[in-house]
Amino acid sequence: MRPIPLRRLLPALIASSALVAAGCGSGGGSSSGAGGSEAPGGAKAGQGRQGGELTDLWASDVDHLDPGQAYYQSSINIERAVNRALYSFSPKDGTNAIPDLADGQPEISQDSKTITVHLRKGVRYAPPVNREVKAQDVKYAIERSFTTNVTGPYAGVYFAEVEGAPAKPVAISALKPFSGLQTPDDYTLVIKLTKPVAQRVAAALVMPITVPVPEDYARKFDAKSPTDYDQYTAFSGPYMVVNDPKTGEVTGHQQQQKIELVRNPNWVKSTDYRPAFLDKIHIQEGNTDQVVAARRTLSGDGLICCDSGQPPTTILRQALTRNKNQLGQTPGGGTRWVAMNTKIKPFDNLNLRKAVIAGFNRNELRRTRGGKIVGPIAQGYIPPGLPGFDESGGLEGFTDLDWMQNPDGDPALAKKYFDAAGKDGVPVSNGRYAGSQKLLMITTNAQPGLKTAQVAASEFERLGFKLDVRKVPQDVLYTKFCGVPKAEVAICPNVGWQKDFYDAQAMLQPTFDGNAILPSNNSNWSQLDDKKINDGIAAATTLGGAERDKAFADINRQIVEQAPAIPFIWDDQFQLEASNVQAVTNPYDGIWDLAFTSLK
Amino acid sequence: MLAYILRRLLWSVFLLLVVSFLVFLIFYLLPSADPAKIRAGRVQDPDVIAAITRQLHLDRPWYEQYLFYLKDLVLHFDFGRSYLTNTSVRSEIFGRLPATISLALGAAVIWLLVGLPIGVVSAVKRGTLWDRLAMGGALVAISAPVYWLGLVSIFIFSSDFGLIPIFDTNGNYTDIWNDPGQWLSSLVLPWLVLATSFAAIYARFMRSNLVEVLDEDYIRTARAKGLRERRVIFRHGVRSAITPIVTIFGLDLGILFGGAILTESVFNIPGIGRAAFSAIQKADMPIIQGTVLIGAMGIILLNLLVDVLYAFLDPRVRY
Repeated sequence: MRPIPLRRLLPALIASSALVAAGCGSGGGSSSGAGGSEAPGGAKAGQGRQGGELTDLWASDVDHLDPGQAYYQSSINIERAVNRALYSFSPKDGTNAIPDLADGQPEISQDSKTITVHLRKGVRYAPPVNREVKAQDVKYAIERSFTTNVTGPYAGVYFAEVEGAPAKPVAISALKPFSGLQTPDDYTLVIKLTKPVAQRVAAALVMPITVPVPEDYARKFDAKSPTDYDQYTAFSGPYMVVNDPKTGEVTGHQQQQKIELVRNPNWVKSTDYRPAFLDKIHIQEGNTDQVVAARRTLSGDGLICCDSGQPPTTILRQALTRNKNQLGQTPGGGTRWVAMNTKIKPFDNLNLRKAVIAGFNRNELRRTRGGKIVGPIAQGYIPPGLPGFDESGGLEGFTDLDWMQNPDGDPALAKKYFDAAGKDGVPVSNGRYAGSQKLLMITTNAQPGLKTAQVAASEFERLGFKLDVRKVPQDVLYTKFCGVPKAEVAICPNVGWQKDFYDAQAMLQPTFDGNAILPSNNSNWSQLDDKKINDGIAAATTLGGAERDKAFADINRQIVEQAPAIPFIWDDQFQLEASNVQAVTNPYDGIWDLAFTSLK
Repeated sequence: MLAYILRRLLWSVFLLLVVSFLVFLIFYLLPSADPAKIRAGRVQDPDVIAAITRQLHLDRPWYEQYLFYLKDLVLHFDFGRSYLTNTSVRSEIFGRLPATISLALGAAVIWLLVGLPIGVVSAVKRGTLWDRLAMGGALVAISAPVYWLGLVSIFIFSSDFGLIPIFDTNGNYTDIWNDPGQWLSSLVLPWLVLATSFAAIYARFMRSNLVEVLDEDYIRTARAKGLRERRVIFRHGVRSAITPIVTIFGLDLGILFGGAILTESVFNIPGIGRAAFSAIQKADMPIIQGTVLIGAMGIILLNLLVDVLYAFLDPRVRY
């Protein structure tokens, strides 16, 4: 999970029920060709020409190559090509995970406290490790993520219930083998849990924490704090980052400059569902001017672009009309909103918050991001495509909640709620807020977020609020202001969230659960702390299937009823390809899948 | 001369110490984010943050932190590790130095070859149409911001989508020893763009200096002695007029060795400027400190070189 403005990461795990029910075959060679489903980019997944080189234009870099640390979307994109987790998503289906390193679906015990996974035979590491992948490597990969040397970004969140896992990260020297991770043989991993949450943990087996890490090779790098394994990663996928075949030092990754992918010479095609058409993939970083990168891609050869960012609106409009076959478009699985701090006056008043939403022109906010083409106006916090979205009224949202109904703003309705707030003692006058204190609004100093903030500020001022608007760099926005309750920021106009799980819990819990409010790195920016919502989330996390989806839709409604924020877009995700490239989007995260992309 | 150089080298070391201290102090007193929290990444566990705080000596008084930094720098030439990526700052900077030096030196050659002759001709043909056109053109070139000129040149000349597609532009830089052809091709446009405003400034400098020098008595004397005009201008005029330009050149080149941030960013050249810019955005202090120190070293060393050059250019200068 993570806020959208930080250039997105980790999308979807997968709904546990979907994982268990997934019917895709695990056997080898599904990659060879026929029958791929139509991918959003226009290409059929699984079909393509063998060979060639591709250049992918990125603005930024991966956060880590070490699968135990990797979290951002761009990192997941690379991990998918160079490593193999137990389960993963094919471009043919972004919601049902299929066995990758695993040799079949996870077996879950009746009491939902044990998961058994069998591993595929014949999967080998790239040089210098060269040997076959074993279950012990996955066990070590999970264990090391609980150490201060690695500090896996989500280990303690999604795998906390593994028996023997420490409550807090420990030094690797103090790490004891987890009793809940057993390897009865080289190809079987048994996960024992302290609570009956096997469905959820099984769902999380798609995350890179389950990418195998050979302890015999990695231990010396992990002994350092922080680990050096990032610079000596062992690769198990169809590709590898160029490295020194003797020492394993990754030489093909230069921070903020490039990543060079070549074929893993030890990859056995029959063990993998990825076709891996290309011979070499060059990730060229530093393309911060997206107009230039996008135009190069549309006019050039052998190029794809825009990592996890959005091509500029002007280019997008052009591509939608003139280069539609060079555009990949998928629902992004995220929501953007303007957060009002419910702990700070006057936003502690529910009627006032409703008045603000009712009077706000959310269409204007969306226009700052590109308008209708970038996605529908958000009516709640579960985005399209996620379980619970349809149960939340789909694109229409909760039609009986009148303050959410007019995205252009409804002054008469706003007045009604302002008047109601006035009866609660909030200073209002003529359908506007009449308080005199200046409210602190913190915004990024970079576009397009700054433009969104400027429009939001003018909307608040139109409704009578006086603001103290401060512009700060994007990173500082969260580390010093919006993510720090002590900073007492009243309005954060540029926040958003994208799914980690293919599950509404991953959208609602970190952002609106009162128990998730943290002193730093907080992502419940509205600081909403409603007992009914908190208890509802706690109860819903233990449910499964349709019952779970319904429960989270109800929580979504309760959040919208509390009006803690002004949701304004459910983003779509756009990617560009050159005319001689047959790129394939993976709907799991909405970006090009390098292992399925080919040249025409 | 040798004593002078040694004395200046010692001063350079002292200056670098002062620079490193000031940079350290600025970022210590005005941190934009807690380094331990940056290093901790997404796991903001208090114990983890406390452990990192101890590991990075952030729990020590500021002067001790500075001494730790200085010790690693002096004894091991170790600039520390990036808070964000844990990579060595030294390898990060030295890996990028060839790109920055290539960009700066190439542009410098162009602006000297273009700017100085224009200045000389303008001074000699003072008040003519040529002079007015050249100085007017220089004014336009000075007024054109590098990022604007860079983008316009990309849209016109980029081999991918330009109107006249002749130059490799964004992101195609490679080190000269990898592929000299691509190195040259990827740098031609950045050189021209970076050199444009410098050439214009140097032309104006050269013109005004030379105009002043050509009015001096010793020039009149040289002419009265019957020397050829070309010899008067180049041997006596330009040689004298160029001395202050050499000083400025040393400073300019030194500054560019610290990174031509805008040019590197527009053309996606992986140099020190881009590393510094990215580090500033992310409050990655070790990288910022490293780039500032390298920039300072560049300026100090080139200044020293310039001062030594004075002795050869100006016979009146003695050390």
